Amino acid sequence: MKFVIRRFKDDKSFWQSFEVPVKKGMTLLDGLFYIRENIDPSLAFRASCRMGICGSCAVKVNGRPRLACETQLSKFKKEIKIEPLDNFRVIRDLVTEFEGFFAKHKKVKPYLIANTDYENPIEQLQTPEELKKYYIFTLCIKCGSCLSVCPSSATLESSLGPAALVSAYRFNADSRDRGKEERLKIVSESFGVWRCHSAMECSEVCPKQIEPAKAIQLLRRETLR
Amino acid sequence: MGVMSWFKYKSPFGLAFAFQRITGIILLFYLILHLCYLTSLQSRELYETLTSITVSRQFIIFDSLLILCGVFHGVNGIRIIIHELGIGHELRRVVLAVSAIIAILGWIIGSYILFMALGD
Amino acid sequence: MRGFEPLAWVFQAISGIAMVFLITTHFLLTHSSHDLLSYDSVLYRMTNMEYKIFYALLLIFVTFHAFNGLRAIILDTEGGMRKKGAVNAVIVTAALIAIFYGLYLLSKF
Repeated sequence: MKFVIRRFKDDKSFWQSFEVPVKKGMTLLDGLFYIRENIDPSLAFRASCRMGICGSCAVKVNGRPRLACETQLSKFKKEIKIEPLDNFRVIRDLVTEFEGFFAKHKKVKPYLIANTDYENPIEQLQTPEELKKYYIFTLCIKCGSCLSVCPSSATLESSLGPAALVSAYRFNADSRDRGKEERLKIVSESFGVWRCHSAMECSEVCPKQIEPAKAIQLLRRETLR
Repeated sequence: MGVMSWFKYKSPFGLAFAFQRITGIILLFYLILHLCYLTSLQSRELYETLTSITVSRQFIIFDSLLILCGVFHGVNGIRIIIHELGIGHELRRVVLAVSAIIAILGWIIGSYILFMALGD
Repeated sequence: MRGFEPLAWVFQAISGIAMVFLITTHFLLTHSSHDLLSYDSVLYRMTNMEYKIFYALLLIFVTFHAFNGLRAIILDTEGGMRKKGAVNAVIVTAALIAIFYGLYLLSKF
């Protein structure tokens, strides 16, 4: 199979083709490792867990963001086009800069804010129904696919983007959390939920199918109160 | 990336988003034009001269395209409102297909009414 | 409620739904037969109180919806967001001019 990869070196970008022998069950990530080990050791890409948990290996495959480790090569015909994610600054080849993405994530306080009495700690109870309200949104692996296709994130860097808003909703919908007001204050700024225009691209590309667009709408509804 | 990335085709939903923006801008221009046009109502002669140009067979193609823009913007807008209420996200492909059919039907019916009213 | 944005969002949706009905009615009022666009029938509609209220309502909804939509588009860009206050001021002014001009035209008849 022909791998056509968009490479970036010294501020220049160019397309380079590699011929990769494909076996049944081989993933895109296996193909990238094959190139690095056998053809061009200078090819840069990011990967870690190889099982769709770490969110490191998201790349644009034939125009659509996918996790390299969970993309079977048998899905494609003769040629496959691989690019780094859009809306991120490219460091080299397929490696993009995630500092800004994580900064946005931190901005929405993605942790439980609870009035815990550390002298006499008690268990924070939650019913299965309460868990169900936000469980799906805990599955986000911060791969950046959603932000890379979001139209408003493309033109406005300060826009929080789908992943951060999903995190905000995940904690706001948690019955144990006491930080709703703090979070709502941040997400209801102009660069927050109001930059979503329901293009639905994030839900389309999310490798975990967590429907970021839905989380944003539910969060937006909360800001009305 | 620039503003053009709004119009970059990614999925049918991205296409609907791009058309919503484009038709929205077209309709905004039409609104301004329409308000300017109505200024002519203050004089019967001016209004009748203008309508003799715009209400005509040559103009029906523009009218029909305007109906397409309006109907698409309206139907797609309703689709977005449904999703913004947090409803039907899992069924979004079906909702999109249904709204596309309604938009095309609305366009055909609207253009038909317009064409019939034009007479000879 | 947190400021203007949530209100703008809700009213964008409400005016959107209202306009589907108002514009369909407006289209049928003006295009369902040929003579509906003649000067006399337009004059009749413009002098009739019910039509006047209908058109004033349509004017306000349409103008708000259009200019708020434009505002959302401009604020999606880096430059627009940097001058957010100026963008809001210009958009509100332009929308008010359009509404008052339309109402002025309506009041002439």
